[in-house]
Amino acid sequence: MTLKNSLAKATAKSAYWLLHDVLHRGGTSLPGKLAVAIDPDILKSIQQDFDLVIVTGTNGKTLTTALITRVLEAGGHQVITNPSGSNMIQGITGTLVTSRVTSNNGKKPIAVLEVDEANVEKVSSAIKPRMFVLTNIFRDQMDRYGEIYTTYDKIVAGIRNAPQAVVLSNGDSPIFTRGDFPNERLYFGFNHVSPEDYQPSKAPTNTDGILSPTDDSVLHYDFITYANLGKYFSVTDQFARPNLRYQVTAVTKLTPKYSEFSIDNTPLRIEIGGLYNIYNALAAFAVGREFEVPANAIKAAFESNAQIFGRQEAINVDGKDVTIVLIKNPVGTNSVIDMMLTENDDFSLLALLNANYADGIDTSWIWDAEFEKLHASHLQAIATGGERYRDMQVRLKMAGFADQSVYEDLTKVVDAIKSLPTQKVYIAATYTAMLQLREQLRSAGYIKGGF
Amino acid sequence: MADYTIAVAHLYGDLMNTYGDYGNIIALTYYAKQIGVDVDYQLVSLGDDFDADQYDFVLFGGGQDYEETIVAHDLQDKATEVKQYIENDGPLLAVCGGFQLLGHYMMMADGTKVDGIGVMDHYTTNMHDPKLTVRNNERLTGNIVIKNNETGEEYHGFENHQGRTFLGESERALGTIVSGNGNNGMDQTEGVIYRNVYGSYFHGPIFTRNGNLAKRVLTTALTRKYPSIDWQSKLNAIPTETF
Ligand SMILES: [Zn+2]
Repeated sequence: MTLKNSLAKATAKSAYWLLHDVLHRGGTSLPGKLAVAIDPDILKSIQQDFDLVIVTGTNGKTLTTALITRVLEAGGHQVITNPSGSNMIQGITGTLVTSRVTSNNGKKPIAVLEVDEANVEKVSSAIKPRMFVLTNIFRDQMDRYGEIYTTYDKIVAGIRNAPQAVVLSNGDSPIFTRGDFPNERLYFGFNHVSPEDYQPSKAPTNTDGILSPTDDSVLHYDFITYANLGKYFSVTDQFARPNLRYQVTAVTKLTPKYSEFSIDNTPLRIEIGGLYNIYNALAAFAVGREFEVPANAIKAAFESNAQIFGRQEAINVDGKDVTIVLIKNPVGTNSVIDMMLTENDDFSLLALLNANYADGIDTSWIWDAEFEKLHASHLQAIATGGERYRDMQVRLKMAGFADQSVYEDLTKVVDAIKSLPTQKVYIAATYTAMLQLREQLRSAGYIKGGF
Repeated sequence: MADYTIAVAHLYGDLMNTYGDYGNIIALTYYAKQIGVDVDYQLVSLGDDFDADQYDFVLFGGGQDYEETIVAHDLQDKATEVKQYIENDGPLLAVCGGFQLLGHYMMMADGTKVDGIGVMDHYTTNMHDPKLTVRNNERLTGNIVIKNNETGEEYHGFENHQGRTFLGESERALGTIVSGNGNNGMDQTEGVIYRNVYGSYFHGPIFTRNGNLAKRVLTTALTRKYPSIDWQSKLNAIPTETF
């Protein structure tokens, strides 16, 4: 390490100490900025200290990164990771230069970093990763200019910086078979359906990324797990889903609060509902096995770290069991709907729609979410609200739910919850609607603290 | 089983389906059902035949650039039948990319020129075109309100496009800009009307927020198929979602 490197690292560390330990702010971007200002090559200079795993994709990065961290720790590795939200180059630099790295039992420390898709190339040009983990690529919020193939090209540009790195991808997502790079490619996916239960069909209409990389024909699927993920094949040539190195071999139980399934015949349980979270667990399992963590240690890591799944918030409102879920795009909303289909008790739904910048200013995505499927659930009552309550009201009306109570004003939202007929209540809200909702619940005394 | 059915073709519904375009079919079905009409939905995609005589309504939505290039190529094989459908006064809603591909050509953001099928007389240039005098190099994104001066109807929606469309001699705009940008940000036009074809940059989707337009198009489709029935009165008797 040169003097300049040391200086950069020391400056960053003291900035981190000031922010974190004195001011009690969780900022990691300032130390990163300081370090880069003093030595733009800081990342290159520290890369021999650890192995790097980059986790990227449009959805599921944060939970996958957290799970990989727990899994590798369970395997006896020392792990450095970035806090969620610090997934751009500055935050990553901050994380790396402020971490104390020591090797453990002769095992090299591992940095597991969630990296924004557009920042993969920058990070991998500074530090050669040992592994890339690709979760999925779905169309993101609709008012932003982003196309899935453009997003994937950015990731591929980053992969090309590190031809020695293993690329571990979601094999159920057709887009990940695209791209020209020499790296070793491994895939994980679902194989829980036996061939006699296959129901071959053309790709569903309301998704994207379903073109074959060989001839751009529309793919067919033996089964679909959700969105465009599943066991796909081409009818025009021999192209099909690649062989899976790691696979979900059984899905035993799906509930809104936990899932039970097997990966490579190891029975597992995670304390969160939703098929998409099984994909996150599968990615973590795959990374763990690649680093030779035993399957039973991975199982224990999933079961002993229940708190990391705490993204769905449960609140008690005068005896009502209220669960708040964030909605922002069709794929995420469909996952929430699928989760509600696994609810065995009667429940009510309060759907809150805003269209501020943080929500996405275009509300048209609600038409791509399949609220119609809720007819097959135990849904008993629907209420709608938020600044764009009218859009949500009409969406649900046209989905066949004519009978709704409508709350134009979120100051009535606590009363709305209380007047719903069931003990279980799900609230699906866009980001700023959720903040407003939380403020109402806080001032009514149902939740404590700020946010 | 209802007594009446309309056959709806969703052109490239598996590839051109961004921004809730499918919602237009949800809305059309919602109104149709209330007056005892079934909607028979069919996807018409790559390599499929499009038979001009088989459909009572066609939706052609927008897509990502990559998919749009592939669709543009395949569409050439369907051009004759699509033209025949349009010239036979078949009702069609074309949104964004679909609207662009019915015209002469479109320029993608990266400058690639993609041929449309030219069954309608507009063309689409991109946001980098030097002849643009308004908001060049920017996407046109935001809420939009337009007014159709022939019917007096106002339509509300959201636009999100980089392409700039200029209408041809034989085409009328769907509406004049009240607020927002429209086809090109310059000439105050939004969308197109040609025979029974409605084109627009509205994502919203347009039929869900503008029940007046949904009912107008549904009336056209039903009257064309079942001319002896007063569909307009039936549709007037049910509530319209407009917001
Ligand atoms: Zn568009």
